[in-house]
Amino acid sequence: MNYTDKSKDETLVIVDGVRTPFLKMGGEFSALDATEQGRVVVQTLLTRTGLDPDLIDEIIFGCVSQPSDAANVARVLAIRAGVPEATPAMTVHRNCGSGLEALTVAAERLISGHGEVFIVGGTENMSRIPLMFSLAAAAKFSAFARMKSAGGRVAAALKFRPSDFAPVMGLKLGLTDAISGLNMGETAEVLAREFGISREEQDRFALGSHRKAAAAQSWLGEEICPVYLPNGQFVDGDNGVRERQSIGALERLDPIFERHGGTVTAGNSSQISDGAVALLVMSEAKAESLGLEPLGRLVDYAYSGCDPVRMGLGPALAIRDLYRKTGLRPADADVVEINEAFASQILAVIKLLRSPDFGSFSVADEQLNPNGGAIALGHPVGATGARLVLTALKHLKRHGGKRALVSLCIGGGQGGAAWLETL
Amino acid sequence: MTTTTLNTGAEQRSAKIERKRPSRLVHQIHLGMTKDRIAMVTFDHPDKSANILSEAALDELNLALDAVISFKPRGIIFTSAKPSVFIAGADLNSFLDASGPEIDRLVEKGQRVFSRISELPFPAVAAIHGACLGGGLELALACDSRVASSDDVTRMGLPETTLGILPAWGGSTRLPRLIGLPKALKLILSGRPLSSSAAWKVGLVDVVVPKERLNETAGWLIAGYGRKHEAHRTTNNRISSTFLRRIARHRVLNRTRGNYPAQLAAIDVVTRAVRGGFSKSLLREKEAVMKLAGSLEAKNLMRVFRLQEEARKSRYDVTIELESLPKLESAAVIGAGVMGAGIAQWFSSRDVPVILQDIDREKVSQGMASVNKLFDAAVKRRIFSPHEASQKRDLISPVARAVPLAGCDLVVEAAVEDLSVKKKIFAELSRRSSAKTILATNTSALPISELCTAPGVTHPERIVGLHFFNPVSRMKLVEVVVTDLTSHEVVEQVLMFVRRIGKVPVVVKDSPGFLVNRILMPYLIGAGRLVEFGCSPEEIDDAMLNFGMPMGPLRLLDEIGLDVAAHVAATMEGALGERFEAPPGIGRLVASGHLGRKTGRGFYQYEDGKAVGAGERSAENEPMSGSVIAGQLASLMAEEAHRCLEEGVVKSSDEVDLAMILGIGFAPFRGGPLRDEASREEP
Repeated sequence: MNYTDKSKDETLVIVDGVRTPFLKMGGEFSALDATEQGRVVVQTLLTRTGLDPDLIDEIIFGCVSQPSDAANVARVLAIRAGVPEATPAMTVHRNCGSGLEALTVAAERLISGHGEVFIVGGTENMSRIPLMFSLAAAAKFSAFARMKSAGGRVAAALKFRPSDFAPVMGLKLGLTDAISGLNMGETAEVLAREFGISREEQDRFALGSHRKAAAAQSWLGEEICPVYLPNGQFVDGDNGVRERQSIGALERLDPIFERHGGTVTAGNSSQISDGAVALLVMSEAKAESLGLEPLGRLVDYAYSGCDPVRMGLGPALAIRDLYRKTGLRPADADVVEINEAFASQILAVIKLLRSPDFGSFSVADEQLNPNGGAIALGHPVGATGARLVLTALKHLKRHGGKRALVSLCIGGGQGGAAWLETL
Repeated sequence: MTTTTLNTGAEQRSAKIERKRPSRLVHQIHLGMTKDRIAMVTFDHPDKSANILSEAALDELNLALDAVISFKPRGIIFTSAKPSVFIAGADLNSFLDASGPEIDRLVEKGQRVFSRISELPFPAVAAIHGACLGGGLELALACDSRVASSDDVTRMGLPETTLGILPAWGGSTRLPRLIGLPKALKLILSGRPLSSSAAWKVGLVDVVVPKERLNETAGWLIAGYGRKHEAHRTTNNRISSTFLRRIARHRVLNRTRGNYPAQLAAIDVVTRAVRGGFSKSLLREKEAVMKLAGSLEAKNLMRVFRLQEEARKSRYDVTIELESLPKLESAAVIGAGVMGAGIAQWFSSRDVPVILQDIDREKVSQGMASVNKLFDAAVKRRIFSPHEASQKRDLISPVARAVPLAGCDLVVEAAVEDLSVKKKIFAELSRRSSAKTILATNTSALPISELCTAPGVTHPERIVGLHFFNPVSRMKLVEVVVTDLTSHEVVEQVLMFVRRIGKVPVVVKDSPGFLVNRILMPYLIGAGRLVEFGCSPEEIDDAMLNFGMPMGPLRLLDEIGLDVAAHVAATMEGALGERFEAPPGIGRLVASGHLGRKTGRGFYQYEDGKAVGAGERSAENEPMSGSVIAGQLASLMAEEAHRCLEEGVVKSSDEVDLAMILGIGFAPFRGGPLRDEASREEP
């Protein structure tokens, strides 16, 4: 069986989509949380499309670090956004691929006959990833709480040591590979060394990302909905894009993962951000019967595994696996969106793709991330996959063109890729 | 808990009475006995949705107590079989028409029956689910303990003072003893009912449980597992009660200028109830209520209450089956200004999902900021918990673009008061909505029939006026403005919707100023003319505050904005005649840029939004007394009200009175402009 050959009843189309601005960690969205961001995009999507919410069969959202007060955040945000209680919702987690996973899960639901209209997407609030106490400290807290007498309490309190109050950063743990023990940035350093990618190449790539994103501001604005904040203000633009980014400023930054001799800096890595994306997807036949004009359809997709230490190469593997299924090469795409987790990582992917041993898949500079990428726009991990789909399809609509390839590397050693095309 | 129905002597006796006077007596109370020998007294009026303590019900309760006592049970539980009412209170209608001796008898009967309950030789428990108000709560207070259901429909309160009387079946005496003087005063003077959790917090109920566990828990209370009651020694003593009485009197006099004697009487009775004999206090309750019940204020307040109840049931076209009409379940508000945001917030607070649209993101953002402020205020006043408020706020979808509205049942336009703008909006709304979407305008004066016939506007039968008053969250009235083209089904749908969101609708004909503003305008203009005549703004406003208005007319003009008021007056003058001509003084103020509070100066000077002073009275004419000023201005409203009735703007004088009270806060104890006029003409 080949997923590429399917009827209109089985083909998933992306009708419309919307996202919040992506805001750097600690920005205005630190007053919100992943639930609220997700609520806003789903509510806005429903309001803008005027879709009868009763038509929705399921809400599927990606989220890597779910809020502690909203287990299965997809369900919580769906109900709060006005989706009927009778409509089920699930949260999916494939690390940085979660936003794409939400889309491909919907595709699987559709082709297996388990629903035909979905709202999918991703939401991440990295500002609100909690700080944690160590296990030892937690044990002391619970011992303290169990003490009834004043004397017992004092005794229990005296057991605390200053180190018990040093929090463990949930964010740092989340960005560390559990198998190899390497931080994501350290895996990017591995690729820089092994593929011979210089600091200068990385900084130039980062500069390009900012320049392209700055030039595409009004276009990106089309996919962004304003978010009205509790304080009576609103935000409607990404805040990571630096219009006046210079190469000099990038060169001056210290490497953060390998202090001595390292090349990966805050400037040539993706920004840690808060944001959410929602896509209205359904079968092509349903879209036709509702008289909707979809942005495009999902042709096929693939997830591939690789060495966790070289997780950044995941896109190359997924793109090649997908070529074997579809016969489509990156050159067949009018736009290629590969997530910019790190400049060294995406440059390594391009190098690997091009190498004759791997398959001589060329990706032209003009094809790649024409509206900038996560280095400028930010990377709210659970949301990015859906953002790539939205940005690529809006790009095709704006400039004409048939096909888009989206791909991202996935912490833990995976890659995801999907082909999209206009109808 | 299983119960067996008892065929008691009481039921047999009442059956005998029933044969004699079948029209009067119905069984409102069922008796039962549990296996544990606990008597169940269940209120369930067979013909009504609510249990009311009428005289007949008290008689039946008395007989029921006889029967219960003869069975020597371990305890007694009072409960209700209604889904949302325990006991809604005394029978107001019988109170309205009763003579002095009849009231005397009724009060004494209630006091006697409730005293019997409190003196039963076994524990008595009230198991409360649903509204437990007035006499209903007084019955519960006579019990040894109270268990309330955690359900939203459970509300407990003593609203008597808002009706011009006071709790006189022992409530004014028992409440301060149970929960302490300060809390009792607050509950009785505000008249506002408490949720079960709030009631638990103040100590009114022993325990709150899910409704399925009420009887079981009542059994536990009978077995002696009640809450330990405080003695309230610090507040309920001679010195504190005197002190609290003085403070409370001072506050009430400041707020009401002595216009609400029931509040003062209640303070007196309640603060004296905590010391001295119980029976003496009951006597004070009775004497006070006898005096109050005959007063004009009480009669007016009870009439207003009855009119509101009637307005909740009134029909526009009785030939239409309400069940066949689709319910209005989702809405959109066009315009996020003060009114638009206020309307959207009110809809969402009543669980109606609503799209709030304006032309740009700044305007939407400002609208959402006012929505947030309103919810914050509601949380502060404990109307909603923070969680409830955020859930309700989620129902508002703010947008700054023309989104599809075909899925909306009701669209309310609250844009600028400009007919040509509104015509364009309605043409656009006609395109964006479905033919079934009801299109409403919140205009306060523009002719709605002209919107119906504007180019591009389709299906005029679904176009109505839906005029909310500012501030939306406080003013209960909504004028439903009907044109010749409006379909009767649409009117009924809108009336149902307005009631569902907790507002009181009054149907008015599409005519300049509709009803409330038309009657208000001559009053405001009259006040402006008195300034020309030589009265100072403060004199005039003070006279009207004493009259019982919530705000003086000139302060109100400053709030509205003198430019806006002059514009409305000019429109109405064109349509209705010279009496709507604005006095030249307003024109002079507008010309010199003094537009009211928004510019820092109008009739008053403002600093930080607060009035700090007004002009002196000119010495040319003789000073007028406050009552003369009030009389003149009130009669201007009454005159215009008569014209409205003659022209058929509204059907009845009852509706005029209710609309003026709920729309602009016309002194409720005066019963509305027409009732007030009539009572001044009576000797």
